[in-house]
Amino acid sequence: MRKNPADIIFSATTAIASLSVAVFVIGILYVLIMESSPAIGRFGIKFLISTDWDPVKESFGALTNIYGTIITTFLSLLIAIPVSIGIAIFVTEISPNFLKAPIGAAIELLAAIPSIIYGMWGLFTLSPIMSRHVEPFLKKITAGIPIVSILFQGTPMGIDILTASVILSIMIIPFTASISRDSFNLTPPIIKESAYAIGATKWEVVKNIVIPYSKIGVFGGIVLSLGRAIGETMAVAFVLGNNHRIATSLFDAAATITVTLANEFAEADNDIYLSSLFYLALVLFVMSFITLAVAKYFLIRAERKYSR
Amino acid sequence: MTRVRKRKIEGVIAMVLCTVAALTGLFWLVFILGDVLAHGIKALNLNLFINDPAPAGVEGGGLRNAFIGQLLITLCATLIGVPIGVLGGTFLAEYARGRRIARLISILSDIMVSVPSIVIGTFIYAVLVKPIGHFSGWAGAIALSIIMIPVVLRTTEDMLRLVPWTLREAAFALGAPYYKVIIQIVYRGASTGILTGILLSIARVSGETAPLLFTSFNNSFFSADMNKPIASLTVTIFQYAMGPYESWHSQAWAASLVITLSILTLTVIGRLLIKGRHGKR
Amino acid sequence: MKNILRLTLLAALVLSFAHVNAAETLNGAGATFPYPVYSAWAYDYNKITGVQINYQSIGSGGGVRQITERTIDFGASDDPSKPEQVQKDKLLQFPAVIGGVVPVVNLENTHPGQLKLDPESLCSIFLGEIKYWDDEKIKKMNPQSKLTHSEVTVVYRSDGSGTTAIFTNYLSAVCPAWKEKIGAGKAVKFPTGIGGKGNEGVANYVKRTANSIGYVEFAYAKQNKLTFTQLKNSAGNFVVPGFESFEDAAESGDFDPKKDFYLWLTNAPGKESWPIAGATFILLAKEKTDANKSVVKFFDWAFKNGDNKAKELVYVPLPKSLKDKVRAYWKEKGIF
Repeated sequence: MRKNPADIIFSATTAIASLSVAVFVIGILYVLIMESSPAIGRFGIKFLISTDWDPVKESFGALTNIYGTIITTFLSLLIAIPVSIGIAIFVTEISPNFLKAPIGAAIELLAAIPSIIYGMWGLFTLSPIMSRHVEPFLKKITAGIPIVSILFQGTPMGIDILTASVILSIMIIPFTASISRDSFNLTPPIIKESAYAIGATKWEVVKNIVIPYSKIGVFGGIVLSLGRAIGETMAVAFVLGNNHRIATSLFDAAATITVTLANEFAEADNDIYLSSLFYLALVLFVMSFITLAVAKYFLIRAERKYSR
Repeated sequence: MTRVRKRKIEGVIAMVLCTVAALTGLFWLVFILGDVLAHGIKALNLNLFINDPAPAGVEGGGLRNAFIGQLLITLCATLIGVPIGVLGGTFLAEYARGRRIARLISILSDIMVSVPSIVIGTFIYAVLVKPIGHFSGWAGAIALSIIMIPVVLRTTEDMLRLVPWTLREAAFALGAPYYKVIIQIVYRGASTGILTGILLSIARVSGETAPLLFTSFNNSFFSADMNKPIASLTVTIFQYAMGPYESWHSQAWAASLVITLSILTLTVIGRLLIKGRHGKR
Repeated sequence: MKNILRLTLLAALVLSFAHVNAAETLNGAGATFPYPVYSAWAYDYNKITGVQINYQSIGSGGGVRQITERTIDFGASDDPSKPEQVQKDKLLQFPAVIGGVVPVVNLENTHPGQLKLDPESLCSIFLGEIKYWDDEKIKKMNPQSKLTHSEVTVVYRSDGSGTTAIFTNYLSAVCPAWKEKIGAGKAVKFPTGIGGKGNEGVANYVKRTANSIGYVEFAYAKQNKLTFTQLKNSAGNFVVPGFESFEDAAESGDFDPKKDFYLWLTNAPGKESWPIAGATFILLAKEKTDANKSVVKFFDWAFKNGDNKAKELVYVPLPKSLKDKVRAYWKEKGIF
C-alpha cells in the first residue's frame, strides 16, 4: 500500500483516539492511587478489613462498605439468575416464534431505563410495598425457624438491604437474560434434534443439552451482571439507608461503596476523609475491573467455542 | 406413576416456571413504566418546560434550567465522545486489524463500558474540578464522554468489520489512499450501524446521574454557560425525589417520564435501524 | 458527514449564544439547614438585581470542603469553624441567620408539639438504648399519650451536616454517655438507625417510616407538617420549638468578630430557650475579593430586606447589633 501523508495523519489520529481508552484506564488508576495515598499511608491494607467509619475520630475502614456491596450484589444475583435463565429458556424454547423478538426486546428495554428512575421508583413505589406487605409476610413465615429468622429480624422499613437487592436484581435481569439467550441460541440444532429423536422432553433437552453446552457463555453473562451490580449507584442510593454497619438482618440499612461515594464525596470536610473516599473508589474500581475482566475472559472463551 | 409420566410432569413444571419467569420480567417492565407514566403525566404541563424552579417548598416553578442543562451536557459529551469513539473504532477495525493492540483495546473498552460511572465522577473531580477551581458543565460533559467513548468505539469496530473486505480492495484498485477508502466507502457502508452505536451511547449517558454529582454539580437558576455549574435533569431528579416537598416529588416524576421516554425512544430507534439494515441479529 | 458538520455548527452556534446570555452567577454550597431561606432570598434577589445566587444544599461538610478547595464562591456551614481553622484555610466566617433543630417523630395519634422528651431519653433513643416507644422513661413524661409497644427507628443524617453538628454538640453537652461513646461533629458514627441525605432526606424518611424519630431544622419540620416534640431545656422547662424559643436562645449568644463569630447556641440558659438552637455561617475565600464583595452585597441586601421572609420560614434573623458587628467585620476585611 502506498503511504500518503494524509493517510499517515489520519491513521495517527485514529490510533490516538483508540489509545484514549487505555489512557483513561491508566489515568483513573493513577489518579485514584495518588489521591488516596494519604489514606493508604495512614490505614494501609488494614483499611480493607476495618469496620470503622468514624469521621469524628478520623478513623476509616472499608469493610462495612465492601460488605454492603457484596451482600446486595449476592442477593440480587440470587434473585436474578433463576429468573433470567427462565426468561432465556422461555424465549429460545417455549415461546411461539412471533413472540420471541418482542419479548426479548421488552426485557432488554429494562436495561435502558436509567438507574435513577429505578431508584426513585424504588423509594416511592416499591419500598412501601415491601415494608407493608412483603417484609411482614417474610417475617411471619420465617419466625421460629432458627438461623433463617435472623435474616428477617427488625422492623420492616422498606429502606433496607432486601429492597435494594430486589431493585438491583431487576436491573441486571436483562444482562444475564440476553447473554444466556444468545448462548442458548448457539446450541447446534442437530444435537437438540437428536435428543428429541430419542424421546427427550423439552425440559430434558434444555437441562441436559442446551445448558451444559452454553454454560461458559451463561457464566460470563452472570459475571458481567455481577460487575454491573457492584458499580450500580443511584438505584441503591435511594433505598439502602446509608448505615455503616455489618448488618445481619435483610431489614437493616447498609451502605455500599457506591452509595457512600455518592453521599459523602462532595462533603468530606477534611483531607483524610476525602482521601479515604478516594481509597474506596480505588477499591471499587479494582473490584469491578477484575470482575469484568473475568466476565470478558469467559465470554471470549464461549465465543471461541461456538465459532469453532 | 410411571417413569415417563414423572418425566413429563417434571418437564411441564419446568416449562411453567420458565414462562412465569418471562412474565415476571415483563411484569417489572410494565410496572415501572406504568408507574412512571401514571405519576409523571399528572405533573406534566407546559410550565415545567418554560419556568425555572421556585424556591424550596414554594409551589409552582418548572425545570427549564434542568432540561436545557441536560441537553447541553449531553450535546457536548456527544461532540467530544463520538468523534473519538468513531476514530478509535476505525483504528481497531482498519489500521490495527488483527494486531494484539487492537484486541487489548477492544477488551479494555468492553470493560470500561461497565466500569462504575461514579468512579469516573471522582476521577474528573480530581483532574478537572479541583485544579480548575470550580464545578462546570464541561467537567460533566467530559465525564459522560468518557463513558460514551468505549460504547461508540466498540460498535464502530464491530460495524466496520462487517463491511466486506472486497469493497475496500475494489477502491484500492482504483488507486484511492486508505483514509479515503475508509471515509468514503467503509463509513458509508457501515453508517447505519455506527449511527445506532451513537444513538445507544447517547441513550446510555442521558440517564447517568452519578458522574454528574460532583462535576457539573447543579444550579437552581437557568444557565447555559458550560464553564459554570449547570443543572441536569438526573441530578435534579435525585435532589427532588430525596427532598420532602410534594411539589418536588411530582416534578421529579414528570422529569423522570420525559427522560425515560426520550431514552426508550432513542433505544428503540437504534434497534430498529440495526434490524432494518442487518436483519435479525 | 455533511449532517455531522451541520450539527457541529449548530452546536457551536447554541454555545456561543449561551455565552452571551450568561448572567452574573455566584455559586454557593453547603448547609441544608438554611437552604429554604437562602433559596427564597436568592429568588427575590435575582428578580430585583438579576444576579443569580446558586445555592446548593449539599451539607455543611460539603460547604467547608468545597470552599477550602475553592470550587465555589461561598460555603455555608452550621458547624462554626474554629478561628484557628478559619486562619489556616484562609477563610472568612460570619453568621447569616439563626434557627433551631427539632426532634421529629412519626407516631400515630401524636400531633406536633405534643410528645415531651427530656435530654436523657432523647440521648438514650439515639444511642439505641430505648428500643420501644412505650419505654417507662418516655411514658412517665407523657402520661396522656397512647404509646404503643412499637420499635423505634432512628433516622439520622448520612452526609456531613451542620444539623448533625448542632444536634450532637447538644447531646454531648447534656449526655455524658453520648460524649464518651459518639462525640460531636458534622458526621458521627450513629449506633443505630437509617441515614438520609440532607435535612430533606431525613424529613422524607421520617415521613415515610412509621414509628421513626429524626432531627431536622425547624423550617423543614414546619413545611412538611412533621410532628416535632417538646424538649426539656437547661432551666428545667419543657419548651415548644418556635420563633420565640429560638429567639430566646439567640439572645444568650455573644458573638465575637475577633473569633470569626465562632459560637454555639446549644443548651442556652434562658428560661424559655429552645435547647438545640444554632447560627448558620457563611464562609468566604479570603483572596477572592471581587466575588466576596458580590456575596457580601447579597447578604447585606438580605439583612436589610430578608427579615420577614426569614421569620415566615421560622428562622430568627440576626439581632440588629449582630448585623452591625458583621458589617464592621466585612469592612475590616475590605470586602464591603
